[in-house]
Amino acid sequence: MEKKNINIRNLWSEAINNYSHWLSFVLLLIVATIVNTSFLEWSNISNLFIQGSIIGICAMGMSLIISAGMIDLSVGSSVALIAGLGITVLNSTHSILLTLLFSLVSGAIVGLINGLLVTKGKIAPFIVTLATMSAWRSIINQLGQGGPFTVDKQMYSSFRNIAAGKFLGIPHLMIFLVIISILTAFIMNRTKFGTYIYAVGSNHQAARLSGINVNGVKTIIFVYAGMLYGLAAFLLASRLTSIQAASAGMAYEMDAIAAVAIGGTAMEGGRGKIVGTFLGILMLRIIVTVLIMANVPPFLNGFVQGVIIIVAVLAQSHRKNK
Amino acid sequence: MKLEMQGIVKTFGVVQALKGVDFSVSEGEIHGLLGENGAGKTTLMNILAGTFGQDSGDIIINGEVITNMTPRKAMGMKIRFIHQELNLCNDLTVYQNMFLGEELTTARRTVDKTEEIRKAQEVLDSMNSKIDSKALVGSLQTSQKQLVEIARALLFKSELIIMDEPTTALNNQEIQELFVIMRKLKKEGVSFIYISHKMPELFEICDKYTVLRDGQFIQTGAFNEIDTHTATELLIGHNYIEADEKKEKISHKKDEVYLEVSHLMGPGLDDVSFKLNKGEVMVITGLQGSGTDELSMGLFGAGEITSGSIKVKGKEIIKNSIKNAMKDGVALIPKNRKERGILPDLSIKDNLSLAYFTTRQKKIIIDQKKEMERFNRNQELMNIKIGNPKDPITSLSGGNQQKVIFGKWLELQSPVYVMDNPTQGIDVGAKFAIYELIDKIAAKGKAVLVFTNEYPEIHRIADSVVVLYKGKVTGNIERNNMSEVQIMECSTGTAKELL
Repeated sequence: MEKKNINIRNLWSEAINNYSHWLSFVLLLIVATIVNTSFLEWSNISNLFIQGSIIGICAMGMSLIISAGMIDLSVGSSVALIAGLGITVLNSTHSILLTLLFSLVSGAIVGLINGLLVTKGKIAPFIVTLATMSAWRSIINQLGQGGPFTVDKQMYSSFRNIAAGKFLGIPHLMIFLVIISILTAFIMNRTKFGTYIYAVGSNHQAARLSGINVNGVKTIIFVYAGMLYGLAAFLLASRLTSIQAASAGMAYEMDAIAAVAIGGTAMEGGRGKIVGTFLGILMLRIIVTVLIMANVPPFLNGFVQGVIIIVAVLAQSHRKNK
Repeated sequence: MKLEMQGIVKTFGVVQALKGVDFSVSEGEIHGLLGENGAGKTTLMNILAGTFGQDSGDIIINGEVITNMTPRKAMGMKIRFIHQELNLCNDLTVYQNMFLGEELTTARRTVDKTEEIRKAQEVLDSMNSKIDSKALVGSLQTSQKQLVEIARALLFKSELIIMDEPTTALNNQEIQELFVIMRKLKKEGVSFIYISHKMPELFEICDKYTVLRDGQFIQTGAFNEIDTHTATELLIGHNYIEADEKKEKISHKKDEVYLEVSHLMGPGLDDVSFKLNKGEVMVITGLQGSGTDELSMGLFGAGEITSGSIKVKGKEIIKNSIKNAMKDGVALIPKNRKERGILPDLSIKDNLSLAYFTTRQKKIIIDQKKEMERFNRNQELMNIKIGNPKDPITSLSGGNQQKVIFGKWLELQSPVYVMDNPTQGIDVGAKFAIYELIDKIAAKGKAVLVFTNEYPEIHRIADSVVVLYKGKVTGNIERNNMSEVQIMECSTGTAKELL
C-alpha cells in the first residue's frame, strides 16, 4: 500500500517536472486551432513534421551536447558540407546506400574533429565550433564554386522519394524524426552513457572522481551528434535534390538551440529531457504556421520566435528558483 | 551593537524553518550559535543580514525595531556576514575582492587603487596572514581565501560580524591568530555571532551560547556554565546515546596487508611508505600543505606520482588512472562534497549508481529493478532519510548526501577505502552515524584510510595514525600511544627525533 503511494507521488512529481513545456505546447495548439479551425487536420500535422524533421534530428544531437554543458555552432555548415558532398557521391556511384553510409561516416568524422579539439586541444566548444562552422561553409562554397550540387536525372525520383515519400500516409521524414527521438531518449534515460552525459554537465569534477572518462564522453557526444547531422544532410539532399552551398542548412544551429531551450534543457548542462526538445521543435514550427495564418508579416517571424524563446527560458528559471 | 531578535518565524513552502526563535547579542560579546545542520542557524542569520524577510517577529537593533531588512540596510548598520561558502571572485585581486561594491574613489571618481591596496594590506598584515593584497584570489589556497573573507569584514569598521564556520579550512595556528584578532575587536566593542560545529573552538572563544534544534529555540546561557557533554546533548537532543566517546574502540585489524605504499614520490610527496591491514582504520593527518591532499589523490590515480609503488592485496596497481585504481580495489570518498562529491542535477538514485556503472556493470542498458534494489539496500544500511529516489540529491541534508556518497562507493565492494575528510561540513548527529559506518566497513574486512585533522575524530575511529609533514612521514603511531600533543608535534615537525 505504502509502495503504491510512493509510485503515485513519483508519477505526480514527474508530471509536474514535465508540466511546463507540455502546457505551453497545448496552449500553442489551442491558439493554432482558434486561428485556423482546420489546424489539427492530418494534412496540416504531417506538413508540420515534413518541415520540422530535418532540424529536429539535428536538435536531438544538440540536446546531448547542451546537456553535457557544451554548445555546437557548426550544425548548419556541417549539414551543408555533407549534403553537397553526398550528392557528389550519389551522382558518381548511383548508390543511395553508399550515399547514406558516406553521410553518416563523414558526420562522425566532423563530430570527431569537434570532439578532439574540445578535449585534446582544450578549447572551449563555443570557439571550436565557431571555427568549424566557418571552415566547413568555406570548403563547400569552394567546391561548389557558387553553383548548386544537383542530383542527376537518373537518380532523381528514387532519391527524392526518401524524403518526400509516405508510408501508410505517414511522411518518411516524420518516421525518421520519431525513431531518432526514441533512440536518443533511450540513450539518455536508460543507458549508463546517458547518466554520464548528465553527470559531466552537472559536475565534471565529481564525474571524473566517479571513474567517468569525461573527455571520452564529450568526444562520443560530438560523434553521435555529427552522425545525426550526417543523417539530416542526407535527408535534406533528398528533400531538395539540389544543395545551394552558400545557403543550405543556414542557421540550423540557431533553431536547434532554440528547440532545446524551449524544451526545458538547462543551458549550463546537467538537466534536460529529450521529449522537451521534441516538443520544442514542433512548437517552433507551429509558431511559424500560426503567424502565417494570422497574416503577420513574414519579416516579423524572427522577432516573435525570439520573444517566445525568452519567455520559455524565463519560465524555466522561475521554476528552478522555486 | 545590541541586537535582539524576537519570535522570528520563517516558512519555506510547507517547511517551517524557524518556529518563533528568540536570540540576543550584547555589545562586545562573542555569541556561539549552535545547532545541527537544518536547525535554522543559517536561516536566522540570513534574516538578520536581510537576505530574505521573516514571516513574523521583530529585529531590534539598539532598541529600535527594524522593518524590511535588506542586505544594503544591514551593511549600512555595520552588520557583516561571512558566509560558509567562499564568496570571492577568483579572477580579481585580493584588494579588489575586499573592496568589491564599496570601492574607494579619488576626486575624479576613478578607483583609488593605491589607497585600496594600502588599506587592504594593513588589515591583512594585522592578521599575520602573509597574503599579498595584489595577488590574484585564484592563486591562493583555500585557507588563505578564508582569511581574505575575514579580512574583508574587518576592513570596514563593522559592529556585528556573523561568522558561519569560519575555520573549516584553517589550521590550528591560523585559528589562534583569528581568535587574537577577534578578542582585540571585542575589546573595542565589536559583537560576533560565531556558528561552528567544533566544540573546543566554541568553548575557547565564545562568551555565550544559543542552541537551536529543528527551528526551535532550545536554550541560551554562558559557556562557562556548561561542558562539551552538555552542549552536545542540547544540540542533538535525545540522539545522544551514540556520542559516548569514552567507549572502548574495538579493533577489527587482521594480519593480512591490504594496502602497501612504498617510497612514494611526487609533487608534495617525499618518500611516503606505510602498510594498511585488512580491517584496520588508519588516519592520515597533517597540516595544510603537508602532502595529505596529494597522497589521497595519488592513491586514487587522480594525482601525479613520479615513483614508488602502491600495492593492493600484494598486486601492483596501475598508476595515474582513476578507473584502474577503482578496478584494482581503491575507492575514494572525496573531500569538498559540493565540489567533488555530488552531482547536483542528478537524482539520488543516479548519484548512488554512478561508480557502479563505471567499473562493475558491463551492460550498457541500466537495469531499473537492480537500481531500485541498490537504492533500498543502501537506504536501509545507512538509515538515509529520503522520500523519493528520483528527487535531486540537493534535496537532502549534508549528512544524508554524504551517506549517499558512502553508499555509492560501498556498492563497489573495494578492499581499500580512502576517505578524505568524510565528516566535513556535516552536523554532529550525522558525524556519529558516519563513525559507526566506518566501524561497520572495517568490521566487514575492508581496509580504511581516513584523511582528517580533527583530533576527537581521530580518537574515535583510528587504529593507527600516520602523520605527514612537508610530504614526509613524521609519525606512525599505534592507538595505544596516540595523543593529541604527539600528533601535533609530528605535524609541526617538532618531533622528528621520534622516528
